[in-house]
Amino acid sequence: MAYTPQYYPGSTSVGINRRKHMSGNLEKLRDIPEADIVAIMGHRAPGADYPSTHPPLKEMGEPDCPIRQMVEPTPGAAAGDRVRYNQFADSVYFAPAIPYWRSYWAAINCRGCDPGTLSGRQIIEARERDLEAYTKKQMDSEMTDVALCSMRGCTVHGHSLRLEENGLQFDMLARTELGADGNVHYVKDQVGIPLDKKINVGKPMSEAEAKKRTTIFRFDGVPLSGTVGARKPDEALEATHHMWTLRSMWGFRPE
Amino acid sequence: MAKLHSKKLFIKALNKKFGKDFDLAGQKVEYKRLGPEQSARKREFMEYAKKLEGKRGMTGYNPYVHAGGIPLGQRQLVPYKLSTTEYVVEGDDLHFVNNPAMQQMWDDIRRTIIVGLDMAHEVLEKRLGKEVTPETINNYLEILNHAMPGAAVVQEHMVETHPGLVDDCNVRVFTGDDNLADEIDDQYLIDINTLFPADQAETIKAAMGKTTWQAIHIPTVVVRSCDGGTTSRWSAMQLGMTFIDAYNMAAGEAAVADLAFAAKHAAVIQMSDMLPARRARGPNNPGGLSFGFMSDMVQTSRIKPQDPAYVSLNVVAAGSMLYDQIWLGSYMSGGVGFTQYATAAYTNDVLDDFSYYGVDYAVDKFGGFAKAKPTLEVAKELATEVTLYGLEQYEAFPTLFEDHFGGSQRAAVLAAASGITSAIATGNSQAGLAAWYLSMLVHKEAHGRLGFFGYDLQDQCGPTNVFSYQSDEGSPLEIRGANYPNYAMNVGHQGEYAGITSAAHAGRMDAFAINPLIKVCFANPYLVFDWGDIRKCFGQGGSREFRAAGERALVMPAL
Repeated sequence: MAYTPQYYPGSTSVGINRRKHMSGNLEKLRDIPEADIVAIMGHRAPGADYPSTHPPLKEMGEPDCPIRQMVEPTPGAAAGDRVRYNQFADSVYFAPAIPYWRSYWAAINCRGCDPGTLSGRQIIEARERDLEAYTKKQMDSEMTDVALCSMRGCTVHGHSLRLEENGLQFDMLARTELGADGNVHYVKDQVGIPLDKKINVGKPMSEAEAKKRTTIFRFDGVPLSGTVGARKPDEALEATHHMWTLRSMWGFRPE
Repeated sequence: MAKLHSKKLFIKALNKKFGKDFDLAGQKVEYKRLGPEQSARKREFMEYAKKLEGKRGMTGYNPYVHAGGIPLGQRQLVPYKLSTTEYVVEGDDLHFVNNPAMQQMWDDIRRTIIVGLDMAHEVLEKRLGKEVTPETINNYLEILNHAMPGAAVVQEHMVETHPGLVDDCNVRVFTGDDNLADEIDDQYLIDINTLFPADQAETIKAAMGKTTWQAIHIPTVVVRSCDGGTTSRWSAMQLGMTFIDAYNMAAGEAAVADLAFAAKHAAVIQMSDMLPARRARGPNNPGGLSFGFMSDMVQTSRIKPQDPAYVSLNVVAAGSMLYDQIWLGSYMSGGVGFTQYATAAYTNDVLDDFSYYGVDYAVDKFGGFAKAKPTLEVAKELATEVTLYGLEQYEAFPTLFEDHFGGSQRAAVLAAASGITSAIATGNSQAGLAAWYLSMLVHKEAHGRLGFFGYDLQDQCGPTNVFSYQSDEGSPLEIRGANYPNYAMNVGHQGEYAGITSAAHAGRMDAFAINPLIKVCFANPYLVFDWGDIRKCFGQGGSREFRAAGERALVMPAL
């Protein structure tokens, strides 16, 4: 019998969205040109060759190795690309993505990557051409709201801050701006170096849309367990309790 | 369901930080991007840096060199209110380099050694046939308080230290023998009966028996030049010389070796254990300081025992400063970031609010402090309720979220409140620790973020060590410390663990957490740092009202 991963408990929109992120079954909302994504990432000029750290694997005379025979190299690994990164900051004000779920998405769905999870940012490192493909998936999909999520290699401060009056997540380096046309434009790359041209990444989600697609439990959206004085545990909380109890008991091992 | 008490103690601090009439609940704001000029302290730094131009012969402080010339201050640079006090200081004032009270807190620990007197008295009486009486002890203590700061006895033509540089040095004795205490000159006595509530005094004396101990605080300037490992050596040398003088011994007779062995090893209580080679530090350095000892150093438990949350919060403050800002932040890492983590636990009344919410809830539900059984079910209920309450406050007050802008700050505060609540409710530190770890898991599940992964890792595997008593990983929280295997490198935990340790005993109204000698030693009213009100003392340091010991101005040209 084929196993179908369940990924995450709960019947709320947050539970459903978390399952979507983990499964990779994400809705595509926009189509940002690859060259624009490469420019925002800031690692190589769009159209430039990929810098490499070693020759293509086929030219390297790889040793006879069962693991190598089982695991097909990613395109970036096969070509000898260097390892680079993308990193996103997601606002607590109902951004669609949250750091752990970006990591779960990457770990489950992206080959050859190294996700890193922090509170205010989430980084994925991978061979450059692989990473560009992963980044495009992230930026094109419902994982991203262009106002509440932004690519920030450094100076990421913003996820927990109040939003700007125009609804954008605070950014000390002001890498994005809201245009008069209602679209969000990147004016700097992810480490804050000004871009040659503004890059239009589309319109922000409405507040209702962001709340519909978010993966964060909040008392003023989908709460994890009701509100003060009116608790109603979500299945996710019950599962958390279950794990905590088992971990505690395993450590004790009363036998 | 238990009653719910939401006092929102942090509102006052938020008003002080963001402005009196500010909309604390607004989710959007105009960022004025006023830069460092908006902060009095940053302006002071920039002005002082200008004075240094030319003098240093090279560039120095300039907040416009980073981030492509975009300096700090693109958001509002807000000050910090020391919890439960009226002190409001800049964040910079809470870095230990800028805060002499914080430095003194650590100096007061590392310059302290407790040395038993009974062993030395036995050597004098049984081996040498000398008489030891209250009179000889008083004479000994007079000589010792001359010698311990660095003055000569017995020896001719000996260099000495300037009394003005070492005036914080003192040695007092304490004893479980009331008859002896009555005979000791008041100036040399830490009087357990007057400093502690009667029930605590009786408990401490019962635990000590009729033993007698010296609370030795060597000069601050010595440990600032050397380190904590010096304290037992400095102390032992002066103790030996004083015994020779006070009891008319030959300098170097064989019995002196017994006295020296007692003073250096056999009768010594270090404030902290030495560390293994990979972290190579001697005793009396912060890495070997147990959470139980830290709990006992803080004196709030004898000053305000009826308020166990307040007691625990003061221990959290002391622990966060020492373990996070000084130990991990400087000994083990470096830089300035660790201060930001630590301050969240003792400023703006946030942890206070979350903790009192939990403790009130538990008292309503279980009928008082330390009334609940220390079970997983109790820890689960309390940690869940406190964590969800705290998360809701962050969400309802975006300025609060902004104040604790890092996930590690929020995680530490929520888990500490959960741990303190559970420990006070059960009187059991392990139940508090269990609640800490559940809080971390619930928080991560709610927001999908916690701290940085190295921070989170400790908490995600942490439940397995709560009730484990395997030798390398299990210990009661009281005897775990900064060098516990799983705690050794993660900010935002150790001070809170110390607070949870304290909470269990504060909930039980215990006189001490693990060691009555430590508790009495730090009750010495003549310590420079105020061990009864940690946060107030930090506020005084930040407000430039605190005068630390160990200053060298006396022997340097005036500025």
